[in-house]
Amino acid sequence: MKKFIGFAAKVLILILLLLALLDVLYTVVYLQASNRGKIDYVYNSKPRIYDVVILGSSRANNHFVTQLFEEKGLKAFNYGMSGGHLFEASLLLKLMIERKYKIQNVIIETDLNLSNEKRAEGIASKFLPYIHSSRLIENHFSQEDDFSELFYIPFYRYLKFDSSIGFREMYKCLTFQPTNTLKNGGFYALKGNNGKMKNNLSALKPIQNKYYEEIKQICADNKINLIAVMTPMCSNTKGLDYFKKANKIYPEIHNYENVVDNDKYFSSCGHMNNEGAKLFTSRIIKDFF
Amino acid sequence: MFFNSLSFAIFLPIVFILYWFVFNKNKSTQNSILIIASYYFYSCWDWRFLFLLVFSTFLVYYTGIQIEKAKKESVRKFWFWLTITINLGLLGVFKYYNFFSTSFSDFMNGFGLQTSPILLNVLLPVGISFYTFHGLSYVIDIYLKRIKAEYNFVDYSLFVSYFPLLVAGPIERATHLLPQVKVKRDFDFQKAKEGVFQFIWGLVKKVVIADTCATYANAIFDNHESMNSLSLVLGAVYFAFQIYGDFSGYSDMALGMSKLFGIDLLRNFNYPYFSRDIAEFWRRWHISLSSWFRDYLYIPLGGSSGGMAMKIRNTFIIFLVSGFWHGANWTFIAWGFINALYFLPLLVLKTNRSNMEMVSLRWNLNSVRVFFNILSTFALTCLAWIFFRAKSIGDAFDYIKRMFSNLSFDAQYLENERYNYELLLIIFAFVAVEWNFKNQVEPISGKNSWLKLSFCLIAIVALGTFSDYKEFIYFQF
Repeated sequence: MKKFIGFAAKVLILILLLLALLDVLYTVVYLQASNRGKIDYVYNSKPRIYDVVILGSSRANNHFVTQLFEEKGLKAFNYGMSGGHLFEASLLLKLMIERKYKIQNVIIETDLNLSNEKRAEGIASKFLPYIHSSRLIENHFSQEDDFSELFYIPFYRYLKFDSSIGFREMYKCLTFQPTNTLKNGGFYALKGNNGKMKNNLSALKPIQNKYYEEIKQICADNKINLIAVMTPMCSNTKGLDYFKKANKIYPEIHNYENVVDNDKYFSSCGHMNNEGAKLFTSRIIKDFF
Repeated sequence: MFFNSLSFAIFLPIVFILYWFVFNKNKSTQNSILIIASYYFYSCWDWRFLFLLVFSTFLVYYTGIQIEKAKKESVRKFWFWLTITINLGLLGVFKYYNFFSTSFSDFMNGFGLQTSPILLNVLLPVGISFYTFHGLSYVIDIYLKRIKAEYNFVDYSLFVSYFPLLVAGPIERATHLLPQVKVKRDFDFQKAKEGVFQFIWGLVKKVVIADTCATYANAIFDNHESMNSLSLVLGAVYFAFQIYGDFSGYSDMALGMSKLFGIDLLRNFNYPYFSRDIAEFWRRWHISLSSWFRDYLYIPLGGSSGGMAMKIRNTFIIFLVSGFWHGANWTFIAWGFINALYFLPLLVLKTNRSNMEMVSLRWNLNSVRVFFNILSTFALTCLAWIFFRAKSIGDAFDYIKRMFSNLSFDAQYLENERYNYELLLIIFAFVAVEWNFKNQVEPISGKNSWLKLSFCLIAIVALGTFSDYKEFIYFQF
């Protein structure tokens, strides 16, 4: 048995060593990446100057046409991330400030994402390679239930989120394979119209969202003009009073839910197509710039 | 609690420590701790089904003794058929009732008699097919006077409920496992070390091969209407490796961890994809089930003794029953039928036992023929797996039709956000490793074992699929 205990101990040590080694390897690779997604594009960047920075979920990513801002002479970038929540939007803005970005205006899409304070696993995981090298990221994750595992167990974060930061993604970073996320100023245009579309927001309840509060505070501290907007839904949406409820909590959010009301401008119920996005962005530019 | 879960990684060392350091006085204490651990392990799925397991165990234990004690043949028969009927009845109710009800209703509707099936809203108890077959083999062996009944309930319970084999086999025989649980086990370092290596290799098969293949196979099978020929061919290949990695990986983990407790289980897989014909494949795939059907169904039906017609009939029966054992769906029956069809020419030509030893290749013309046989056997197997994986027989035929009619062999981007060909490299590497070590149980033992172990551990953590977690396929059977 003594021999076996020795053998098992060696296996355990080997496992720990391999985990630590792989952790270092993956992290080093991610620290070199800057063309895979919006998070590494910000994390590994030097100071940038923007007139307009757009934050939010896919309803920001697919709805704000960066090119139209540029045509108006405004330097803009759409940092909206499909599937993202305000947890990630807030952290991304914090990173921008830490990297001394000069930002005049932040447009934040704050509608459906006001209903929760949870992190969006697929997006939040993209910050995790930097958790040991950034106190900001460490602090932002420190209230999460699995923080200890993510922070202290070597390689655990790469195992848990293997589909977003696992071997395949690491390999693509290592070989500098770009994605199309950063094209068109970060705006991703949706095509077509799938006909039958519907959505039901009845189950969603807007809350006093701490990450939105954080974003407001950051903007105030850094003298950034914050423009919070709610973006359109298709006509066949139940529970549209959600937007009114959100406005009751946050009267400063501009309700643009009904500025595009024809379903031909929608790719799916919660996402406008390219034509719809252009209409919507033009209206935003007209009203605010 | 799956073998590849964090909770099991905590459970196993605790049981190991209790078994060897606290309850190591004699075989009774050893068996008792294993029984407690096994019942706890089983209750982690659904504690309510624990009663079913205990009931089934007690029934077979009690009737086994009654069969042995009975003086009159009629009494022996009574107890024998009572336990067979109840055990198969439970299996029938939980696993097959809804299938028969729906099939009957469909049949009546086909004749214009409108009926709607009365369905039971019950979960399938995990591992029911496996522990039922354990019990059946035991009671049949007693009835046929091949073995003596076990009078120690704890020992018998352990034979049925031993946690490494409880939910997905291998299907043990009383003649093999009971003698091992009847004696105190002493710690054997070499055996335990082999067990660790086999467990780790099983984990490689599960998380690196099976779960990764599953993401591709699912993306292809679930969208087969929009897939081109190359994707469909690869989908079948990926599923073949998914099910092999999943089930043989599970078996390796079961056999490996059992060695940690000083107990050897029956080998369940012996490199089946290196088979040169379908008969050899079935001698190497799910060996414990194939041999169960051979010993308790094929031979009692007359086996090969009654001429060609009887051989063919019996072969079809065991393949159809084997298919049905896997699940209550026509797709499994079709899968069994196809395998029986594959078997037929070998049976007629009496060549079904021509490839008994492990294959080897050399640089000569004969090896080219052998290599071709391996590839064609694998291709036939993949074709049959399409029926096993498809949601319906119609889907399976549609899949095959598109495979041979689309004739586009371009790279295709799949729903899982990967190209259809991306997994081939890892499959080739896996096949190369298995080929190289096909004469041993797992590839880690032997020379440079620490180096090979390191590679396996790196493969598990770096290449394994963890976020898109997959249950073991055979748990549903």
